[in-house]
Amino acid sequence: MIQLINLTKHYGKLAAVDGLDLEVPAGEIFGFLGPNGAGKTTTIRVMMGILKATSGQVLLDGHNVVTDAQKAKAITGFIPDRPFMYEKLSGCEFLEFVGKLHGVEPARLKPRIAELLEQLELTPWKDELIESYSHGMKQRLIICASLVHKPRILIVDEPMVGMDPKGARTLKDLFSDLARNGTTIFMSTHSIGVAEEICHRIGIIQKGRLIACGSMAELYRLAAGNPDNLEGVFLELTREQEFESMAARQRL
Amino acid sequence: MTSVPLLLSPLWLTWKNSFFRDGGSWTRRLLLAALAILFWLGTFLVIRRVLRYFETVYELGPELAYQLLLIILLTFLSMLLFSNLVASLSTYFMARDLDLLRSAPVSSNSFFYARLINTTVNSSWMVLFFTVPIFAAYESVFGGGWRLYLWVALILPLFLIIPAALGTLVTHLLVYFLPAKRIRDILFFIGLFAFLIMYLLFRFSQPERLMQPESFGSFMQFLSAMETPSSPFLPSSWSAEIFAGTLFKRDTDSIFFFALLASYALFLPLVTSWISGAVYLDGWSKAQESRQGRRKLAWLDNTLEWITRPFPEFTRAIMLKDIKTFLRDTTQWSQLFLLLALIVVYLYNFKVLPLDRSPMAAGTLRAIVSFANLGLAGFVLSAIAIRFAFPAISLEGKAFWILQTSPISLRSLLWSKFWLNFVPLLVLGEVLVFLSNLLLRVPSWMMFLSLITIFLMTIGIAAIGVGVGAMYPKFEFDNAAEIPTSFGGAVCMMVSIAFVGVMVMIEAWPIYQLTLASLRPGRVMAPTFWVVAPSLAIITALTAAAVVFSLQLGIRRLEQLRE
Repeated sequence: MIQLINLTKHYGKLAAVDGLDLEVPAGEIFGFLGPNGAGKTTTIRVMMGILKATSGQVLLDGHNVVTDAQKAKAITGFIPDRPFMYEKLSGCEFLEFVGKLHGVEPARLKPRIAELLEQLELTPWKDELIESYSHGMKQRLIICASLVHKPRILIVDEPMVGMDPKGARTLKDLFSDLARNGTTIFMSTHSIGVAEEICHRIGIIQKGRLIACGSMAELYRLAAGNPDNLEGVFLELTREQEFESMAARQRL
Repeated sequence: MTSVPLLLSPLWLTWKNSFFRDGGSWTRRLLLAALAILFWLGTFLVIRRVLRYFETVYELGPELAYQLLLIILLTFLSMLLFSNLVASLSTYFMARDLDLLRSAPVSSNSFFYARLINTTVNSSWMVLFFTVPIFAAYESVFGGGWRLYLWVALILPLFLIIPAALGTLVTHLLVYFLPAKRIRDILFFIGLFAFLIMYLLFRFSQPERLMQPESFGSFMQFLSAMETPSSPFLPSSWSAEIFAGTLFKRDTDSIFFFALLASYALFLPLVTSWISGAVYLDGWSKAQESRQGRRKLAWLDNTLEWITRPFPEFTRAIMLKDIKTFLRDTTQWSQLFLLLALIVVYLYNFKVLPLDRSPMAAGTLRAIVSFANLGLAGFVLSAIAIRFAFPAISLEGKAFWILQTSPISLRSLLWSKFWLNFVPLLVLGEVLVFLSNLLLRVPSWMMFLSLITIFLMTIGIAAIGVGVGAMYPKFEFDNAAEIPTSFGGAVCMMVSIAFVGVMVMIEAWPIYQLTLASLRPGRVMAPTFWVVAPSLAIITALTAAAVVFSLQLGIRRLEQLRE
C-alpha cells in the first residue's frame, strides 16, 4: 500500500533522508521511530508531496505522489505535527472545507462530519470558532479532518503530543479500529509506549537511514536480546549506530 | 477548476466570521469607516480642486488632466506590480495553509488561479480604494456620466490582473533560483528605497511652487518630462486612452485599446499558470528548505554590552535582547532609512521657507516658525513613538510568558522599555529642533527654550508610547506592522498629540512675551528667569504626570492579564 523506493532528500549537503526503502502492506500500523532530527518529519513531508525528494519515489497505493499527485492524495489522510487551521472558521466549516477539498459528495459530507465530531467528542463545539478551541480540541479536530474522506492510507506525524490520557486512549483505539478495517497507518512517534502497544511493525530511522525494521520480536533479536522492552531496543540500536559512525569518522 | 471557489472559501468565511462573530466593538468599526470616508472625501476634493484649477485658470485643462491621469495610472501600475511581487511570494510560497492545501488532492491549475485571485485582492484593494474618488473627481469636472463608470468597471479588473500575473510570474522564477526568505528581504529593500527616492524627489521638486503663477512654466516642463514614461506599450497608457475618449471627448479607438488590455489580462495569467506548473513544486520545496543563518558580530555585541553598562542587570538584559532582535530583523532596522529621509525632508522644509518674502518682520516670523516647530517636532516624535515605543510590550508576543514567569517586576520591565525608546527619540528630537532652529537663525533664548521643551516632551512621549502600549497589548500578530494600526495605537496617538498640544500651549505665553520684548527698538532683551520659570515648571510637572499615569496604567493592565 505504501512504498518508499530508494528515497533520498538532501538539504544542501545534509542528507536528511538517505536511500530509504520501505514497504507497508494494507491494514498495517507502521511505527516510524527515531531520535530528534533523524529525518522522520522530512520523510513524511516527502510522502505527502509537500517536499520534493532529491531522488527516489513514493508510491501510495501504486500512485506516484509527484507524477500522480491528485490520485495519491485523494486516498490519503494526513495529520501533521504542527497543523495549521483557519482560526476564524468554525470546526464544522473547517471540516466541510477539507471534505470538499477531498471531493466528498455533499450528501455524504454532513453525516460523515457529524459522525466524526461525535466520535471525537467535539459535537458541542462544532459551531464555535477554532480560535476558541483548547490544544487538545484542535488536535481532535485535525484528526477528524484527516478522516473526513475515509482515507485508505493515514500518515501521522507525532499524534500524541500534548494529548491527555483519555484522548490518547481514544486515538489508539481509533487507529486500531481503522487498521482492522483495512486502513494503512504510517505513524511517526516519539512515544515508544504507543508504538509498542499498537504498531504491527516498527522502523527505526537515524541520520536519514533505516537502521532497523520489523516486528517487535524481530527488533528484540536485532538488539541481541539484551533489552527487555522497546525503549531498550531503541536505545541499543541507535547507540550501536552512533558508535559505528564515530568509528568511521576516526578512521577518516 | 471547480475547486477555485472552494479554495477561496476560507478567505471569505474568515472575513464573514471576523465581521459578524468576532466580539469586536462596533464603535471601533464605525470609527474606521468614518476615517475611510473622510479620507475618500479628502482625496476627491483635492483632485477635484486640482482639476478645476487646471480647467479654469489655463486653457489647457483637458491636456493637463490627461497627463495627470497618465501619471496616476502609471504610479498605480508600478505600485501594483511591486505589491503583487510581495503578495505572491507570501500567498504561493510562505502562507501557513500551504501544507494543508498541498497535501490535499487539488489540481495545480485550481490552486494557481485561486492563489492568483487571492494575490490580486490582497495587493489591489488599496489602489481600488483610491481609484473611486479619483474617477469621481474627474467625472465631476469633465463629465462622462455612466459611460465613464462603465469603462472604469470594465477596465479596472483587467488593469489589476495584468500586474498580478506579471508579479506572480517573476516571483515564481525568483523562488526557483533564489531562497524565498532572501527574496523577501531583497523585495523589501527595493520597495523601501523606491519609496524613499520617490518621497525625496517629490519633496525636492517643491510642489508648493505650483501655487505661484510664475513657477507654472516649470510645472509644465515637469509634466512634459513625466509624459515620457507613458509608453504605448504600457497598460496604464491604454487605459488612459480609453478614459480620455469619454472624459475629454477625444477621438480614440476605445475598443482597440480595451481589446489590447483584455488580451493581455487573459494571456499573462495563462502563461504564468504554465510556468507555475513547471516550476512551482521545486520552488516551494526550496522555499521550505532555505535557512537564514546569521553570523554573530562580536564587535556589535561588545559595543551593546558597553553602551548598556550603566543600567541595572535586568534592565540591561531586556535592552540587549530588544536591540539584538531589532537589528536582526530586516523589516525593523531598515526603517531607520525612513527616519533618515524624514530628517532630511524635515530640515529641507526649513531651508526653503520663504521667510524673507513675508510682510511680517523676519524676527517675529522666525520666532513663530520656531515655536510651531516645537509642535511639529512633537508630532513627528509621537508618530515615531507609535511605530517603536507603542509596540514595545506587544512585541514580546507569545514569549511574554518568559517575562511573566521570571522574578522581575512589571515596573522594571516598563522602565527598561522606556529607556530603550527614550534615548533614540531624544537624540532625534534634539537634532531636529537644534538644526531647524539653526537654519531659522533663532535667538539663543529660543534655542535654549526649544531644546529644554523637546527634552521634556520626549520623556512624556516615550512614556505614553510604552504605557499605552502596555494598556492595549496585542500579543497575537502575524506582522509587527499590525500593532501600531490597532485601536490602542489610535488611542496612543491621540493622547500623545494632546500632550504635545498642551505642552506647546503652555510655552506660548513666555515665547510671546520674549518675542514682543525683543522687537522693542533700542532694547536688547534677555529672558528673565521669571518669564521662563513658571512655564518650565508647569511643563515639567505635566511631563512627570504623563510618565507616572501612563506607566502606572500600563502596569495595572499587565497585572490584570494575570487574573
